[in-house]
Amino acid sequence: MSKVDTGKRPVSPLLAGPYGHPWHPILVTVPIGAWVASLVFDIASHVVDRPGFLTEGSEWLIALGVLGALAAAAIGLLDLLAIPTGTPAFRTGLLHMSLNLGVTGGYRVNFFWRHGDYTDGRSVAAGPLTLSVICLAVLGVSGYLGGKLAYRYGVRVADEATQATGFRGRTASR
Amino acid sequence: MDIAALIVWIITAVGGFGLLGTWVAKGGVRPQSAGSGSRFPPALIFGHFLLAAAGLVLWLVYVSTGTDALAWIAFVLLLAVAALGFTMFARWLPTYRTAGSTPASAGPPERHFPVPVVAAHGVVAAITLVLVLLAALNVGG
Repeated sequence: MSKVDTGKRPVSPLLAGPYGHPWHPILVTVPIGAWVASLVFDIASHVVDRPGFLTEGSEWLIALGVLGALAAAAIGLLDLLAIPTGTPAFRTGLLHMSLNLGVTGGYRVNFFWRHGDYTDGRSVAAGPLTLSVICLAVLGVSGYLGGKLAYRYGVRVADEATQATGFRGRTASR
Repeated sequence: MDIAALIVWIITAVGGFGLLGTWVAKGGVRPQSAGSGSRFPPALIFGHFLLAAAGLVLWLVYVSTGTDALAWIAFVLLLAVAALGFTMFARWLPTYRTAGSTPASAGPPERHFPVPVVAAHGVVAAITLVLVLLAALNVGG
């Protein structure tokens, strides 16, 4: 089995998703969606008249994102173990993981920074808001690396022979 | 009690990470040749790890929020974690007994587990289970 093929196979089909259908990509939707929405709430809290609900909601979204990120990370770690070490793909995976752990840590700090006064009805303060912007920017970089792992290096992507089964025409011999 | 359980849980986890690292480094994920295949299916060892990690996260949330239900959920998770752990222990024991007689390159990756680490991981895990139960029962709180 070539190294490319090794990276396509799950270490545990039950826990990481079967061949050609990994769980990690669906799990990352939770932190990405929650944290993007949190920033939208943060900015909107400076626009509306009574921003308390947005400020409180934003903190919930950060917490939801952190918990979702931990679940995505656990399954992503299984996919990292499928990649042969010492390869560019493995190094990309390590960087992707490290950046994501940093972002998750940043949002954890963000949560506790807000926690004392987030129910007092005011807009989100500049400090936590800025931290959200920075974390989301780093998330963009690590997300780009995740896309590179899948779409350029084919990690956990079915091989081309399997891919071809989706494009067999009716007039073909089979 | 909550903090004591958290501390021993983390100590258990450190030992567990050591064992997992050994298993992966010795080719547990990819059997290199016939006869060196692990007797741990990946779902068994990774399931044990993921359930224990999820339980630890729940315990951290419990320590900060004090919601009693979380303590009980964590305890139930630990029962499942223990069941998986005992399964692995039972499968590891025969490899330990043959450790002296086969060359180092053959055999399943788990035969490279250091016996003191296996023993300590099991004992500290049992202590964690008891402390989590006591904390959930609000003993010493």
